[in-house]
Amino acid sequence: MKKIHIYEPAMCCSTGLCGPSIDPELLRMSFVMNNLKKTDMEAERFNLTNEPNAFVENEAINQLLMSEGMDALPATFVDGELLCKGKYPTNAQFSQWSGLTEEELLQKPKVRLSLKGDA
Amino acid sequence: MERFTRSHFPDTPFLFFTGKGGVGKTSVACSLSIAIANEGKKVLLISTDPASNLQDIFGQTLSNTPTKIEGIDNLFALNLDPEQAAQQYKEQMVGPYRGKLPDVVLQNMEEQLSGACTVEIAAFNEFATLLTDTSVIEKFDTVVFDTAPTGHTLRLLQLPSAWSTFLDDNTTGTSCLGPLKGLEPQRDIYKKAVERLKNANQTTLMLVTRPDVNPLKEAARASHELFEIGIQNQVLLINGYMKNVSSNDEIEKAFIARQTEALEIIPKELKQFDQYYLPFVPYSLSSIERMQAWMTNQDITHENEADKGMTIPEVEEMIADYLERKPKLIFTMGKGGVGKTTVASYIALRLAEEGIRMHLTTTDPAAHLNWTFGDDKVKNVTVSRIDPKVEVANYEAEVLAKASETMNEEGLAFVKEDLASPCTEEIAVFRAFANVVENHQDEVIIIDTAPTGHTLLLLDATEAYHREISRSQGDIPPAVSNLLPRLRDASYTSVAIVTLPEATPVFEATRLQEDLQRAGLSVGWWVVNQTFSSIKTTSPTLIQKQQAETKWLEEIKSISNNQFVAIPWVKTPPVGTKGLHELKGENIK
Repeated sequence: MKKIHIYEPAMCCSTGLCGPSIDPELLRMSFVMNNLKKTDMEAERFNLTNEPNAFVENEAINQLLMSEGMDALPATFVDGELLCKGKYPTNAQFSQWSGLTEEELLQKPKVRLSLKGDA
Repeated sequence: MERFTRSHFPDTPFLFFTGKGGVGKTSVACSLSIAIANEGKKVLLISTDPASNLQDIFGQTLSNTPTKIEGIDNLFALNLDPEQAAQQYKEQMVGPYRGKLPDVVLQNMEEQLSGACTVEIAAFNEFATLLTDTSVIEKFDTVVFDTAPTGHTLRLLQLPSAWSTFLDDNTTGTSCLGPLKGLEPQRDIYKKAVERLKNANQTTLMLVTRPDVNPLKEAARASHELFEIGIQNQVLLINGYMKNVSSNDEIEKAFIARQTEALEIIPKELKQFDQYYLPFVPYSLSSIERMQAWMTNQDITHENEADKGMTIPEVEEMIADYLERKPKLIFTMGKGGVGKTTVASYIALRLAEEGIRMHLTTTDPAAHLNWTFGDDKVKNVTVSRIDPKVEVANYEAEVLAKASETMNEEGLAFVKEDLASPCTEEIAVFRAFANVVENHQDEVIIIDTAPTGHTLLLLDATEAYHREISRSQGDIPPAVSNLLPRLRDASYTSVAIVTLPEATPVFEATRLQEDLQRAGLSVGWWVVNQTFSSIKTTSPTLIQKQQAETKWLEEIKSISNNQFVAIPWVKTPPVGTKGLHELKGENIK
């Protein structure tokens, strides 16, 4: 089973809604990671705010932070190998790793959700 | 309306006082605590206000454990400082990683844990722990909280789906719960705390207000918000109600007429609850004896504080200064109920009359700019309003539209959860606020900011977002990136702090000034609203009030470094251009 581990800087929320503006990259990531969950791959995001321990326990990411600092984040490891740093992987890369097509990775919503009254 | 007496004391073990700064919440909470303790019940009085003046009232140092109050059997008090709690919490989160992760990484974590969310959550954590800590609670018959948690903290802690997402499945959208991570073991405590607050046999919410239009509106808003969350056992206490003693004094008659008019239009949300009043007292309730006498309706012999004949500068001095210095952006800040909107309207009106094009806006949900100007059209003035509800709705729509371009149903569910977080309102209001500043560059802008901590949340947000801008990949509107440098430019932005000549509003305003200075904003003026000191009156009650004000005017003179002006109490609410002009002071001397 393939493992994709993405190490991210400290953020309030992984969808990026709490930043100064909507970050389309973070939205894309939330979406892609959700779709990857439907495969038999292990796809995980580690946010520095929520899971600092992951940054301590994994020697590779720890080393990377020691030598390159925060600029190295987000950093993506596939089966333990650093394949992307300083930015999120492209859909093409995800597609290559997962076997899903880019369309499958970017599946459209089936329903629109109502925001009001059901929170 | 009945006077609040012994027979009206709620019999639930938990009493929460809520109400805006300056309405006398602390005085009422202390007086009631003393009265209950005097009956032989063991009482614990808790303040979570970082600017709490419990220590001044009792003349004792307090800590975060119950301290016996000298001179009153059975009364204990405790002070919780949410900022200190947040600091401890941050250290608890980051501390274990010192030496294990590089400093820049730790810094990044600390920044993320410096937001308003963290302070609020840390405060709630302390508060929930107390509320459910049987080893403390069981020792007391009554626990009095001199502050209520805000609706949005409770709402955050009630998001069950967010919690389960976070706890069971945090590899996808972990939602906006970053700061909650360290509180995970306390999940049960929150559940119990929230249940206790909702239980009418356990908790009574005491809504404190003044018999004045705007404090009443704000009480209605707080009441509604907390009612919706399930805290429905509420009692309304109208503090500072002056009874008609058939005086012939014009000012006293006008004072009574104003409160009568305000109570005639009491918001409908408040009508469903029991309503009582506590009498107006012309002195500050700053000693145990005075508070005892007040609650039990005894006469008080009070010392007269000598009038030292201080000259009180009139509000036009500030207008003259603005005309000379020409700031582009003027804020009126201060706690709810002190009259910020009135002061903002006055400044806008007067500068407009001097030929300056003005834009007046407010972020106050209880705003009443139209009410202030009445039906008068004011030349050179445009008016707008930043309504948090509208801004949040706009922001949600924008986010969902954007998100649905790329997201599936599940993804949208995460986004939706994030949007339910308290951060959303801050961001939405913040962006609207930045847009107003950007879009009215050819006018002088006056911003009447919302009461409570909102103002500071905005500034914190400004700071945090500004730091983030450099590395964000989102589209940063220029309005946002231009904002902070403008706010920090003293020739561009000037803050007027509005207060009343009374203990709590002055303490709170002092803290506000310190916070503003820390944020790099300069305070131009202090405005002391509703002073009786320059008014001629024969009313013995109001003469005492004048004497009591002297101390606070001197305090303000010193804190503001002599940059203060005063606005007299006026007989009719300052509505319309004519009403606003009466604030100059010369008409009633």
